[in-house]
Amino acid sequence: MTQTPNSEAPLMQVEDLAVTFYTPRGAFRAVRQASLEIARGEVLGLVGESGCGKSTVAFAMMGYLPGTAQVEGAVRFEGMDITAMSDAELRQMRGNHMAMVYQDPVTSLNPSMRVGRQVEEALVYHLDMTADQARDRAVDLFESVGLADPGRIGRRYPHQLSGGMQQRVVIAMALACEPHLLIMDEPTTGLDVTTEATILDLIVELKDRVNAGILFVSHNLGVISRVADRVAVMYAGEVVEQAAVRDLFKGSRHPYTAGLLSCVPQPPGDDGVEHQLSSIPGAVFDAQVEQSESCLFAPRCPLAQDDCASVSPPMLDAGDDHAVKCLHHENVKPGIWGDLLERQQKPDQDGGVPVLNAKGLRKFYGGGRKKWILFGPSVRQPVRALVDVDMRVGSGRTLGIVGESGSGKSTAARAIVGLIPRNGGSLELHGESLDSHVHERTEEQRSAMRMVFQNPTASLNPKLPIRHAIVRALRKFAGLSHAESNERAEELLESVGLDPSFLDRQPSELSGGQQQRVALASAFAANPDLVVADEAVSALDVSVQAQVLNLLENHQRETGNAYVFITHDLGVVRYVSDDILVLYAGHVAEYGPSPDVLSAPSHPYTEALLSAAPIPDPDAEPTHIRLEGSVPTLRAAFEGCFFAGRCPRKLGDICDHTPPPQQTGLNGDGHVINCHIPVEELEAIQR
Amino acid sequence: MAAADHTAARDVSASANPLLRFASSARSALTLILRTTTGRVGFTIVMVHLTLAVIGPWITPYTPTDFHLDDRFSAPTAAYWLGTDEFGRDVLSRVLAGARSIIWIATVGTVLGVTLGTIVGVTSGYAGGKIDQIIMRIVDWLLAIPSLLLAILVINMATQRFSGVDDSWIIIGIIGISFMPNNSRVIRSATLAVKPLEFVESARLRGEPTPYIMFREILPNVLPVVAVEAAIRISFALLLTAGLGFLGLGVQEPTPDWGLMVAENAKHLSTVPLSALAPGFAMASLVVGINLLADGIRQAQNIPETGDSR
Repeated sequence: MTQTPNSEAPLMQVEDLAVTFYTPRGAFRAVRQASLEIARGEVLGLVGESGCGKSTVAFAMMGYLPGTAQVEGAVRFEGMDITAMSDAELRQMRGNHMAMVYQDPVTSLNPSMRVGRQVEEALVYHLDMTADQARDRAVDLFESVGLADPGRIGRRYPHQLSGGMQQRVVIAMALACEPHLLIMDEPTTGLDVTTEATILDLIVELKDRVNAGILFVSHNLGVISRVADRVAVMYAGEVVEQAAVRDLFKGSRHPYTAGLLSCVPQPPGDDGVEHQLSSIPGAVFDAQVEQSESCLFAPRCPLAQDDCASVSPPMLDAGDDHAVKCLHHENVKPGIWGDLLERQQKPDQDGGVPVLNAKGLRKFYGGGRKKWILFGPSVRQPVRALVDVDMRVGSGRTLGIVGESGSGKSTAARAIVGLIPRNGGSLELHGESLDSHVHERTEEQRSAMRMVFQNPTASLNPKLPIRHAIVRALRKFAGLSHAESNERAEELLESVGLDPSFLDRQPSELSGGQQQRVALASAFAANPDLVVADEAVSALDVSVQAQVLNLLENHQRETGNAYVFITHDLGVVRYVSDDILVLYAGHVAEYGPSPDVLSAPSHPYTEALLSAAPIPDPDAEPTHIRLEGSVPTLRAAFEGCFFAGRCPRKLGDICDHTPPPQQTGLNGDGHVINCHIPVEELEAIQR
Repeated sequence: MAAADHTAARDVSASANPLLRFASSARSALTLILRTTTGRVGFTIVMVHLTLAVIGPWITPYTPTDFHLDDRFSAPTAAYWLGTDEFGRDVLSRVLAGARSIIWIATVGTVLGVTLGTIVGVTSGYAGGKIDQIIMRIVDWLLAIPSLLLAILVINMATQRFSGVDDSWIIIGIIGISFMPNNSRVIRSATLAVKPLEFVESARLRGEPTPYIMFREILPNVLPVVAVEAAIRISFALLLTAGLGFLGLGVQEPTPDWGLMVAENAKHLSTVPLSALAPGFAMASLVVGINLLADGIRQAQNIPETGDSR
């Protein structure tokens, strides 16, 4: 049966879609009930936490679901039923009329083929172009996605391009045949904030230029608010709310949406008052549970009433093209996720001995390779990952370290805890010098300084029960007997909000958020003075991220421990930090108390990071300072300023040839800016 | 992610008791192996061999080393199901009796080789750097020696020096030494995959001693690789043992040995073909069975374990 497109019909219409995957471990209901519509020239944002079925909906639109999936409901593209198409028809459809952009550009491009040929291939196959026509068209396409030097970029291989450039090539490829529908599945998630901002700019610009409908899938509310015209929120395989972007962000009518928004750290309001984060209790719905006649969000909902457990809410009209799947949507108000608590102010940094004091911290990688394999002179210069970094953390305070990937954040964390030996500089814990290797440090030093890692799944041994990580730390550091440590382990688990029965479970039985809590319990085991958290919340969903952030804050208030908190998320760092260290290519760009660093005058790099960070507010004025490229890998010392290569405020020759002076900020010596531009001038141009 | 909570609730009783957990994981491993046809066929063949090897001494119709000089070169009859050889020994009894020694030698030899390989591999992989380089170059050097050549060398040396030691222990030693290098390379690469994971760093931050990290934290995570390695290696060990027997370097007459039987009876192939073919067939079927079983294990391990779908 061949179907013909109907230009009268909506571009993409999904009606009561349900997708069930049959696996050896049982049936997974990835999508339960999703109805969506995308019009021509419109961007529909699809948002939700992991496991709620966003990507499955995207794949269903492309007809990409595997044979193990059972699809119910209708997916119509220009009036044609996608679910009824043969493979050949789908193939024709995908290149010509719809296209998809995936999260990871590295896996979307063939590493052994020049990128130009990959784009030309699509043109020749789908549009019957000659090789010459295709080449010209590819250059046009590269130009349209903002790639510099479009005439020559096609000659490069994917590995010769930066992540942002690769994603631009993938977008060019998707646009090649002028598709009517473009599906973007988390297209910026794997990229740095600075690169993400440039790609989002491109998408916003494309939206006006190409008259295609775009489905933009993302878990990041800030990103969605930047690009989407309308937004659909998914929870547990159901679309629970759908509205225009402004209506949704300003007047969400579903408690889940309201909860998600209140979980994201927001900049303090005009009154300067900062609020504590709310968090959604519990975890995302279990996809293995059978369909039941109840609201799936009810177990986590603060507004749940008796009827929520017995009636599956239909999609209700909340006015203004605003649809919501909640029986009590009129009760949804700003304060439902708990009153906004004002955060307690922390005491100022005391003049005493800091918990951690680092001076001139250095780490050079490599250079270990010798001329005759193990012996002889070094073959080449080492990579300068960390160059003369100073930092100090007082007790009860939090130091945030920010920077793009490759800026040396993780190296700093690992050098501090002693996982990788530093090459120079001094490190003091309570004024006592620390050895560069962790196994050379004393037991007290090890127990006073603990670390939490980014990937919660990898930080617990998959073959040993939860008990292992916690009890081992207790026995080593607190010197407890077997029975005592088991008892204490139960208390610790309770203190991080987990049931003591979890002790005997295997890590694979826990969700990511639960695993991270166990990692925290193990880190807190010996009442450490300092916890180094390397991207500890980055892998978590926003609702869980908020729970963990609150947990960290409460623990600090109770025990007065200090944190070194490493993250690429400026919203999070703004929320947790008392002091901020901005790293670029292993150099300190700016260092000082959090409010000073985050407001003018600041280092041009800090300014660029702040300007790139997506804010979940559709009314936020887009800022226009953008960084191209990525952090350089350095084998030789900089002749001039470390940031000169990408600086949007570069002065000229002086930046290239003279290292920047260390300037003091307007509020005293706590605030350091390493830049040639005088602070007064910086303030003037940044206001 | 919530799927895990659900499974957790079900498994919580099993995971409380280590013994129960072992039993349940052994059971689930068996179910996984039996899921594939390859695994089922292999399992059946291997089980038949094992059963016969275990009960062999009680069901052999004759003592395997007894001469029946009146019935030399007998074709299969009701009395001698598989006929007799040049000394009138019952072929069936000898094949049944031979199973024991070859399976014992091959298994213990493999276990020895895999254990040595695991120790060397985990140490080398975890240590890294110069130590790793040096160990691996020694391993490369060992790999370059053909195992048969090594066997002849060792046997010649060993029979002179340890004349009191049982032949089979010498062969076990040879299998162990010649399997160690290959195994250690495989285990080393598995270790390298586990080493950079955060739980290992976590253990280092706790100040755990290096042997603890290697064998308590890392080893359990490379054990699945060790298991597959061992299963594949056993069939090589069988072939090596039989090969040594065939060359007369293994167990000596009159002990029934498959390799030796083939060699001794090959010259009478035209008169009593079964006396050489029966041990050969026994050997071939056992090797095929073990290979199928190893394939089954490998396929079974590709099926994701609980919680991985998250």
